[in-house]
Amino acid sequence: MNRLVKLYHQLGSPPTFYRITGKWLPWLFWAGVLLMLWGLYDGLFVAPIDYQQRESFKISYIHVPAAWMSMFIYLVMGISGFMALVWRMKVAEAILIASAPIGAIFTLLALVTGSLWGKPMWGTWWDWDARMTSELILLFLYIGVMATYNAYDDPRKGARVAALVAVIGLVNLPIIHFSVQWWSTIHQASTVSLFGQQHIPWSMLRGWLIMAIGTKLYYGYSVLKRARLLLLETEKHTVWVQKVIEQECQNA
Amino acid sequence: MIRHINDMIPVKPATVLWALIRRDLLLGVRQKSQIYQPLVFQLLVVTMFPLGLGAGAKTLASIAPAVIWVLALLASLLTLDHIFKVDHEDGSLETYALSAVPLPASVLAKATAHWLLTGLPLTVFSPIIAVLMHLPESAFGVMMGSLLLGTPTISLIGAMGSALTMSLRHGGLLLTVLVMPLLAPVLIFGASAILESTLGNSASGQLLALTAILVFSLTLVPFAAATAIRINLE
Repeated sequence: MNRLVKLYHQLGSPPTFYRITGKWLPWLFWAGVLLMLWGLYDGLFVAPIDYQQRESFKISYIHVPAAWMSMFIYLVMGISGFMALVWRMKVAEAILIASAPIGAIFTLLALVTGSLWGKPMWGTWWDWDARMTSELILLFLYIGVMATYNAYDDPRKGARVAALVAVIGLVNLPIIHFSVQWWSTIHQASTVSLFGQQHIPWSMLRGWLIMAIGTKLYYGYSVLKRARLLLLETEKHTVWVQKVIEQECQNA
Repeated sequence: MIRHINDMIPVKPATVLWALIRRDLLLGVRQKSQIYQPLVFQLLVVTMFPLGLGAGAKTLASIAPAVIWVLALLASLLTLDHIFKVDHEDGSLETYALSAVPLPASVLAKATAHWLLTGLPLTVFSPIIAVLMHLPESAFGVMMGSLLLGTPTISLIGAMGSALTMSLRHGGLLLTVLVMPLLAPVLIFGASAILESTLGNSASGQLLALTAILVFSLTLVPFAAATAIRINLE
């Protein structure tokens, strides 16, 4: 069997997931933190100053990666929600539930930094422009997933309903986004596209890309850490959790 | 060979669905509160706007499209909680889930009954709200058209929200949190249809968008709601 497929199947079982991801955590954490520090240094001190936006452009080195992460994490949630509903994988449920607060915080970060950036650029903290509004609605979708999970007494049932909420949200997200775009917008259009002409010099883009990879690794660390704890809690009556706890006690 | 209890009783699915709609309508007509409460709520809230704004006729007319649609949304929200909750509590929902009639079809029947009891009255009642908000009479047609196309989506998405929260004791606020973001497009197109028609422009684009959203909801929502019901009944 293909090694990648085998790994995927192994990660589907909570005890193996717990064992394997335990080895990944320190790598993800340090790689993420170091990349984010490098990205911030590169963005704040190395990148040239924008001729029009001056120094305030530099807030984008937090704002843009946070906004990217807010969408990326929702995508991860939608996919793991689908997996949780179809294959009833406990690990997928844990990833979904663990992702929600991280995604919500990144969304909030994007909104707050956007607001701080908007004040000097547009002269207002908040404007009901299309991208800001969709980002705010995205925050509501995250809150919906978290609130659904918390509302159920049975965590597995809560996770399954939350999975459905995440999938429904993912299907609706394009509709919400495009209908919100009906207003004329003051937000600058996308500067970065995978294909075609780049609208930004490499020296300015580099910080964003480093931050994008750094935040993704940090998210990987954070989501695995949370998912591991969730699994320990939902599986607390099983033998493998008891063994894990015994081992932790011996190590301590 | 009898595989399922329903194979013994030769009943067409359409008969069952019709009975389901008829039952809900009868319950609604007899209890009445489900029909008049949203209308009274609308009337109460719309009274607050002139009081708050200081009766400026111009201001009222300019915010009328938004107010009419936000009110329709809020008034419907009051009733969404009940779509599946009562059936879940008295156990009849389990018979829908076990019956030979597909569960998504039953969901569609429930949403239809809900729309006939709240969406349709809200649409019929809307000219009164419009008069109170000083909406130009030329926009009345588009307003009722937009409500006619938009309120069924509210009932459908609301049925889904009700299915997601039916087993919770205090699910009302959660239902609002889940349903509101999904209904944002309906509000955008509904209110902008009325706005365009008050400006003398054609609102056909917005009405077509509302129709598209309705068709999309009609095809997908029953399945999502049926999944939610099955998870909750497990």
